[in-house]
Amino acid sequence: MLEFRLVQGSLLKKVMEAIKDLVTDANFECSSTGFSLQAMDSSHVALVALLLRSEGFEHYRCDRNLSMGMNLNNMSKMLKCAGNDDIITIKADDGGDIVTFMFESPSQDKISDFEMKLMDISSEQLGIPESEYQSIVRMPAAEFQRICKDLSSIGDTVIISVTKEGVKFSTRGDIGSANIVCRQNTSVDKPEEATVIEMKEPVSLTFALRYMNSFTKATPLSNSVSLSMSSDLPLVVEYKIADMGYLRFYLAPKIEDEEEQS
Amino acid sequence: MGIKGLTKLLADNAPNGMKEHTFESYFGRKIAIDASMSIYQFLIVVGRTGSEMLTNEAGEITSHLQGMFSRTIRLLEAGIKPLYVFDGKPPDLKKEELAKRLSKRVGATEDLAQAIETGDKADIEKYSKRTVKVTRQHNEDCKRLLRLMGVPVIEAPSEAEAECASLCKNGNVYAVASEDMDSLTFGAPRFLRHLMDPSSKKVPVMEFEIGKILEELDLTMDQFIDLGILCGCDYCESIKGIGGQTALKLIRQHGSIENILENINKERYVIPENWPYQDARCLFKEPLVSPLEDLPEVKWASPDEEGLSTFLVKENGFNQDRVTKAIEKIKAAKNKSSQARLESFFKPVVTTATPIKRKLYTAC
Repeated sequence: MLEFRLVQGSLLKKVMEAIKDLVTDANFECSSTGFSLQAMDSSHVALVALLLRSEGFEHYRCDRNLSMGMNLNNMSKMLKCAGNDDIITIKADDGGDIVTFMFESPSQDKISDFEMKLMDISSEQLGIPESEYQSIVRMPAAEFQRICKDLSSIGDTVIISVTKEGVKFSTRGDIGSANIVCRQNTSVDKPEEATVIEMKEPVSLTFALRYMNSFTKATPLSNSVSLSMSSDLPLVVEYKIADMGYLRFYLAPKIEDEEEQS
Repeated sequence: MGIKGLTKLLADNAPNGMKEHTFESYFGRKIAIDASMSIYQFLIVVGRTGSEMLTNEAGEITSHLQGMFSRTIRLLEAGIKPLYVFDGKPPDLKKEELAKRLSKRVGATEDLAQAIETGDKADIEKYSKRTVKVTRQHNEDCKRLLRLMGVPVIEAPSEAEAECASLCKNGNVYAVASEDMDSLTFGAPRFLRHLMDPSSKKVPVMEFEIGKILEELDLTMDQFIDLGILCGCDYCESIKGIGGQTALKLIRQHGSIENILENINKERYVIPENWPYQDARCLFKEPLVSPLEDLPEVKWASPDEEGLSTFLVKENGFNQDRVTKAIEKIKAAKNKSSQARLESFFKPVVTTATPIKRKLYTAC
């Protein structure tokens, strides 16, 4: 059986809100080290990878590796019933086909049990190798969200270019064009407000803004976001989840030349 | 047409072999389309009310052009690369089926005339649908239109479905789109239905994967072909009284039509005389298709604006503004940089965790 108790229940609610529009069904993988999920959107352009390490839970028990198939919209519906300060416990039995979400109010005067049916989901898992990225940009998450939102009112795609000078987001549409440059800025009061650019090589890639906007729904999870880019790899947009893990989005770039697919 | 009741049989017995996908998720994919089937649909659906069809000034039908033009643009706008395959000479075995269809059409034409006389609208609708026939001229018109649009066209030596399946097996295209379940018995690894349905219908594309279907039915490809023949195909009669479910049971029990014939109760089931099931099987297994090395290189080119204008506006009475706008759409679709997929960067892996419960959950 498995049982996890998460004091910061709102965290799980935020994770669901961030990913439920991108993927409909997903398998949650549970092992002794943590709770994880990998799922692609239906067109296989974007991928969500979530990791919540066991250390971050107040109580974590997982006897053997298990995979739980859930419809994310349904899971989100259930988690919406939890209060923001509630403690959430997830429970499931080895042989069963349901998962239980238990919500406890902070003062312990209200306890709710929600049971959800599990699903059999045959999803393809991709092996994502650890890579060195040519450029990594870390910036305030709210700033990134604002940029994506602003640019998508002008165009459909964004070109992200990292140079020594900074990171440039540009787009072009029927009504005109837009360029936003963010320079490195570390002289701020709080470290999460900094913009840090680690560049080994300059890189410039094009992405669909539709997906970027969807990723920024994870903004409530973290004050800062990091964008990792290499010319031959998908973009990684990472939101760190304090003390527990991360929520990462991978996005395949747009390419100019027609590639041969078999 | 196709294999009788196969869709339902698969939905009941191999639900994991079929999956719904959105139309948009096929961007960037090359897809072989059974053109004759699409043209037939256009003639039935596009701009027809009762026995009246869309026509040009000379009174020639243009429904197929209208349909082919707008649906192909829809595909191109979604980033799909269509490759149309036209039927060649029908195999000898199909002649009987074709003769049957012809006589049905003749019957329907008479009924239609009667319905028009009595003015029964429901009957006019019913019979005019049945009188629809795809002529050589329709096919030639569509080929000309597609070439002007810059969309590749392949002429199959025989059945278009077989040619599509062969292209898909060879990896020239990602999938085959048709409404005819024959494509599966011809061995198309990936087969799509409803790709050409109008967007207004909002039907998701149904994708069939033959590998998964065989695995789930626990049949070999040869047995699957036998199953198709037993269900009823275009090439020979089937045994009266044996439907999909029984056919599947018999194939699972006996393994092949030969063994079934030996063991079946001949009093109860009447086997057609001189039943050419072996020829039909041969046709599915080794259909006449273009040799792979002879395949012309398929290319998606820029549209011929002047040519389209002449053909559609001057010769077939299309509205100039609409055609100009449509050409703009084709050009815009061509210029869009294409979206890559994650699989081009990361390779699939097999997961080790056991699911809590392997429970069949089907949406359909």
